[in-house]
Amino acid sequence: MKHARMMRFVILLGAAVLLLVIAACAAPAAPAPTPEPQVVVQTVVVKETVEVPVEKTVVVKETVEVEKTVVVKETVEAACATKKDKYKIGFANLTEDIVFTQLVGQGIKDEAKKAGVDLVLADNKLDGATALANADNFILQGVDGVIEFQTDEKFGNVMMDKFRQEGIPVIAIDIPMPGATFFGADNYRAGSMAGEAAAKWVNANWDGKLDAVVSLDLPQSGPIPAARLQGQLEGLLNNVKTKPADDMIFHLDSKNTQDEAFRVVSDTLPKIPNARHVVGININEGTALGTIAAFEAAGRKEDIVVVAQGADPSGQDEMVKEGSRHLGSTGYFPEKYGTYLIPAMIDLLNCKSLPPSIYVDHVFISKDNLCKYYPEHASCK
Amino acid sequence: MNTTSPPTPSDLRARLQAKGLRLTTGLSLLIAFVAMCIVFSILSPYFLTIDNFVNIARTMPIVGIVAIGETLVLIGGGVDLSVGSVAALSGVVTGLLSEKAGMPIGVAASVGLLSGALVGLVNGILVTRLHINALITTLATFSIVRGLAFVLTNAQMNQLTDPRFLWLGRGEIVGIPVPFILMILLYVVFHLVLRHTPFGRDLYAIGGNPVASRLAGIPAQKYLLAVFVLCGLMAALGGLVQSSQLAAGTPQLATGLEFTVIAAVVLGGTSLAGGKGTMMGTLIGVFILRTLDNGLILVGLSSYWQQVARGAMLILAVGFDVLRAKLAARKAR
Repeated sequence: MKHARMMRFVILLGAAVLLLVIAACAAPAAPAPTPEPQVVVQTVVVKETVEVPVEKTVVVKETVEVEKTVVVKETVEAACATKKDKYKIGFANLTEDIVFTQLVGQGIKDEAKKAGVDLVLADNKLDGATALANADNFILQGVDGVIEFQTDEKFGNVMMDKFRQEGIPVIAIDIPMPGATFFGADNYRAGSMAGEAAAKWVNANWDGKLDAVVSLDLPQSGPIPAARLQGQLEGLLNNVKTKPADDMIFHLDSKNTQDEAFRVVSDTLPKIPNARHVVGININEGTALGTIAAFEAAGRKEDIVVVAQGADPSGQDEMVKEGSRHLGSTGYFPEKYGTYLIPAMIDLLNCKSLPPSIYVDHVFISKDNLCKYYPEHASCK
Repeated sequence: MNTTSPPTPSDLRARLQAKGLRLTTGLSLLIAFVAMCIVFSILSPYFLTIDNFVNIARTMPIVGIVAIGETLVLIGGGVDLSVGSVAALSGVVTGLLSEKAGMPIGVAASVGLLSGALVGLVNGILVTRLHINALITTLATFSIVRGLAFVLTNAQMNQLTDPRFLWLGRGEIVGIPVPFILMILLYVVFHLVLRHTPFGRDLYAIGGNPVASRLAGIPAQKYLLAVFVLCGLMAALGGLVQSSQLAAGTPQLATGLEFTVIAAVVLGGTSLAGGKGTMMGTLIGVFILRTLDNGLILVGLSSYWQQVARGAMLILAVGFDVLRAKLAARKAR
């Protein structure tokens, strides 16, 4: 018994010592000091001819040599502290559980490989505290730059403070972080493109008549996703011929899932028993599919058309189906994020200046142009 | 010679009181349900409509069916937190096999069901053979199974388009949704099993007093293993119903379902400590929770307040019943 206790103590002590050693060895090196611009003073000899007036009518010209000291300031370009031959970049993804972020992640991995960059990956699991822990981990691993995809504003400030102290440049995807270069969606514009497309369809197919709108929101995600829904709603209402009454616009909490969208839309249907022209606006493809399913299950498939954001594979599959009620989605092209992000991060690390925000070029994707932007889709072969 | 003495008046009184208590528990819940319906019908003109009742009947079965299995496990003294993940797995497996592998939908759905039973078997073995706490076991399988669902699909959804499969979730028989009919049939079957079979009676004994039931020769381990398998099977069936309604097998399905199911089961009078509960109580609990959600959306309450209302309802219903039982017990003394 005594022997076992002693062994346990020794093992624990050994583990503690090992942890201390690892922590000490992994302590980040002090950042290199930033060189000051140098002032160079040079002595330059200047020859000047000066005319000296005399009293006699005979003009005598004298050449006087004057020595002047001229101070010339030259700014020598400071060496780029972060420039290296090979970079290590940290990428913390929003979550690995949804298609959109998976595509973002895969695109970044592919581009990093092409650019010869070492990529350190982390999953923020849609949680601010986890994102903060990942940020600490990046600093511990000595990354040169960070691409951050996280949603929590409060934790974002703390993370940026840490990165700033370490001199690590950051690019923030879709959710701004103070001091970071922003890359992502032009949320309101992306939304209004979908809303306008829906209005165009309603005007052409329902003679502009709109009885109700169901908006599948995500209130807990804050103002950024809300801008997409606001854009969709305003894009729709500002362009449709007949607007519905205010009490026929329903804001439902989708909780970002298809089955919750199905449930809340199903529960709303009894409130609009006579509505034959309903548009569903959606935060993403999952909720769009849930909305369509709810109307189908209630035997009211022809009463609904939906638009959404993202144009991910599940949305693409739905919009090309025969008789589909999915008009289309604003494309964010998450699979191409890497083609912007990795070069932008390398530019930052090479001390090239970047604009404060880089926006995605959005396109409204429907079955009419799907093959132009996604030629690999099964329906295009 | 066996001389079983006839029950004394005090025995009879105790039995009647016990039956009365059970009846009164169910009655309390029914009263709560009716009261809630009255309030919603006043607050919303859409509540008391055929459309709305059909909608409730169509959307409650996923919780209702899964709650059958959870009730059995809780009565037996265990708990199963993996039901939501199992529901997702069954839809995912069915979608992959039918749409990607081209299997007939009946075969694919059967394999989907079996996947749930298999998870239940694993849970049961870990709990009964390795004696790992049920909470820990099913918390682990909750995570593992959900993760597997994502791995199998790469987080993508698979569409389910076979009309025969869609009929399971969207079909109607004389205007009544098929999932609702299926749910009621299952409740009747399991109510009879619990009340009128040795298995059912023994399950209460195992949950109420595991030591005594073992000493009495009841094969507790076997029965507990069986209820975990049944729970997995019910969770898979609920998942298939929901996948049919969505026309898709998706790994994100039924996130958080386990907590809704446990809330409904506990609301229906099943004890978390084991040994107590009824199928009819659970059914009423499911009705109450689904109707509450439906009513709150019809009256236009914000989703944040809906969450508050759900929790408050649970405390009120259970607390009222506990208080009533205490008063009745004090009076009986």
